[in-house]
Amino acid sequence: MFKLDKAVPMMGMGGGGMGGGACYVYPDAPATIGKVTPDITFNRSAHMNGSMRMDDGRTVEMWGFSSGGGMMGGGSPFPSPTMRVTEGQIVHTVLTAGSMMQGTHTIHHHGIEPSQQNDGVGHYSFDVNGTYTYQWKASHAGTYFYHCHTNTVLHAEMGMYGALIIDPPEGWGTLYAGGPTYDVEAVWACDEIDSSWHSLNWTAGTCGGDVGLNSLNPDYFIITGVDGAQSALTDPGVAVTMNLGQKLLVRYITAGYLPQRVNFGGLTATVHMSDGRALPNPIQATELETCAAERYDCIFEPTTAGVYEVTVEYLDWASGAVVGTARTRINVN
Amino acid sequence: MKKMINRRNFLKFSSAGIASALAASTGLVSWSPRAEAATINQTFVITEGFITQPDGVDVYFKSFSPNAASLTVPGAQIIVQEGDTVNITIDNTLGTDHSFVIDGIVDSGIIAGGSSKTVSFVVNSAGSYLYYDGLNAPYNRLVGLHGAFSVMPSGSSNELYAGSATFVQQYSWVTNDIDPAWHDAVRLGSAPTSAFNPYYFTINGRSMRVPGHPDYANPDIDSGYAPDTRLEGSIGDRTLVRILNAGMCIHSMHFHANHVEVLARDKQVLSDVWLKDVVRLNNNLGHTDVIYPFDPPPDAHPAVTTGSFPMHMHDEMTQTAGGGLYQFGAATTIKFK
Repeated sequence: MFKLDKAVPMMGMGGGGMGGGACYVYPDAPATIGKVTPDITFNRSAHMNGSMRMDDGRTVEMWGFSSGGGMMGGGSPFPSPTMRVTEGQIVHTVLTAGSMMQGTHTIHHHGIEPSQQNDGVGHYSFDVNGTYTYQWKASHAGTYFYHCHTNTVLHAEMGMYGALIIDPPEGWGTLYAGGPTYDVEAVWACDEIDSSWHSLNWTAGTCGGDVGLNSLNPDYFIITGVDGAQSALTDPGVAVTMNLGQKLLVRYITAGYLPQRVNFGGLTATVHMSDGRALPNPIQATELETCAAERYDCIFEPTTAGVYEVTVEYLDWASGAVVGTARTRINVN
Repeated sequence: MKKMINRRNFLKFSSAGIASALAASTGLVSWSPRAEAATINQTFVITEGFITQPDGVDVYFKSFSPNAASLTVPGAQIIVQEGDTVNITIDNTLGTDHSFVIDGIVDSGIIAGGSSKTVSFVVNSAGSYLYYDGLNAPYNRLVGLHGAFSVMPSGSSNELYAGSATFVQQYSWVTNDIDPAWHDAVRLGSAPTSAFNPYYFTINGRSMRVPGHPDYANPDIDSGYAPDTRLEGSIGDRTLVRILNAGMCIHSMHFHANHVEVLARDKQVLSDVWLKDVVRLNNNLGHTDVIYPFDPPPDAHPAVTTGSFPMHMHDEMTQTAGGGLYQFGAATTIKFK
């Protein structure tokens, strides 16, 4: 359709079938430059019909990426299914998106640093309208995430993200090549949700007008797709159960937009990595303050059995006041 | 490029008016170290006016400008060397009191409306500073009375501080969050009464434009092309970026294509240099210094050495203007030449 070197914005076209139109999106689905046979492939199709049931009984609309290409299966999960690869692998992420109903989307592999064409930023390349194969190489073990980079302020808030983990050659159980080991692993993607944004069209605001995307006023606080009000305390996908003597790795992903302060409930983390890079010297922390899109890899070696309640506070970006809290547990037997 | 309008005699500019700042200093500062300390003289004229935002709305600002006919937000970058004597004359053309402050270095005290004052000081500590108006805090600072002040180590052209990691070029980015209601309260001489609710987000006074917009690639308007903001380099052109937050919000600076080396935060040299793709920027005079290494993007296959990538804030509300217009916020372009 359009050539990369002179991207043509789609202007004033009806997006999603309801008013507003789409401006400054760049629909295309070119061939991948220098495409090779990959070591591993992830098929993802954008969906905009997911939902999340909150502890107060409300259901909030969520969007995301399903596994499986095209219209095939995969459901409408939130968060999107984890991608897990091994350092050194050539990866294909095959994204299918783009229709009048579902709009255009991209996948930006956050913290992964590929070529411009494969970076998944709409206005520097294209918004996928059809099927595009992102090609990249997993050069550094660590914790990453992937998210949509079309009308990002809205699409990432709507849940279009998932974890991305690069294992070292040693595989699961080692954080990075020659680095520390772990026996139990948890991925905590901490996010806040402003439900008032969750009825907007995928093009909201792109042609101008005040649709409120400058002002996030969250009313739900979640951990890896589970409401942090109550459910995350016991949800087996979030709360950790481990035995004394085991080493726990928590991959902490700041998936929301507000600063967060996580307190480990009396346990001390040894932070070995951040943003997919080993720290020159690991640090000890009973509490971390993080900002949007940061990742921290924390290893815990509890010395006393017990139930440790982990608290994630979400902070107002101007005043620093706590605007909400999510909780989960580390149960040490 | 500039036009005067007769609205209470305020100056009015599109953000193109900011272009005057570039005459004073560009982003690509070639710094020649001196064996001897020097005396640096700078004059600022405090002016006021309106700057048109990406959605066409005019917002009131004040600034440390080079002359009475301009409105330069932020004020010109100043780069000096340890040991230099700095003389700064501030000519306050407005009817309100203002001041000139660099934390830990100088505080002019009140410069009454219609008066001038010269402050003289010697700089002793290499690093990145914000100069700003400390009166009516934080409002005078927020409405534009601020700018970047950099002190190089004595005799060095390629270090942040003596013995730091080295670079070949340097930039300063001053970030701001703009609540038009607060700016208008300052224009009217009153204290804002509403909760802070920013609608515009800038780096060095400008916001991003994208392909298809009439101002796209206009270096006077588009923060992705403004030469004091856009990072350009070839492989190996290690680039120091001094990031200073004049605004109210904590930000998350996300660099694409390379991780950055984080050298300093909030006036503290960091003993361990972390490699990060996201860097925290604290609010209300928060600061960080990073080196963008311009290494080949490590995860490209096939390998590449050229391309254009964004640096944007990941608190994505900042990527909007006027409550929508995603991509018209606080971001710039990193160009691998």
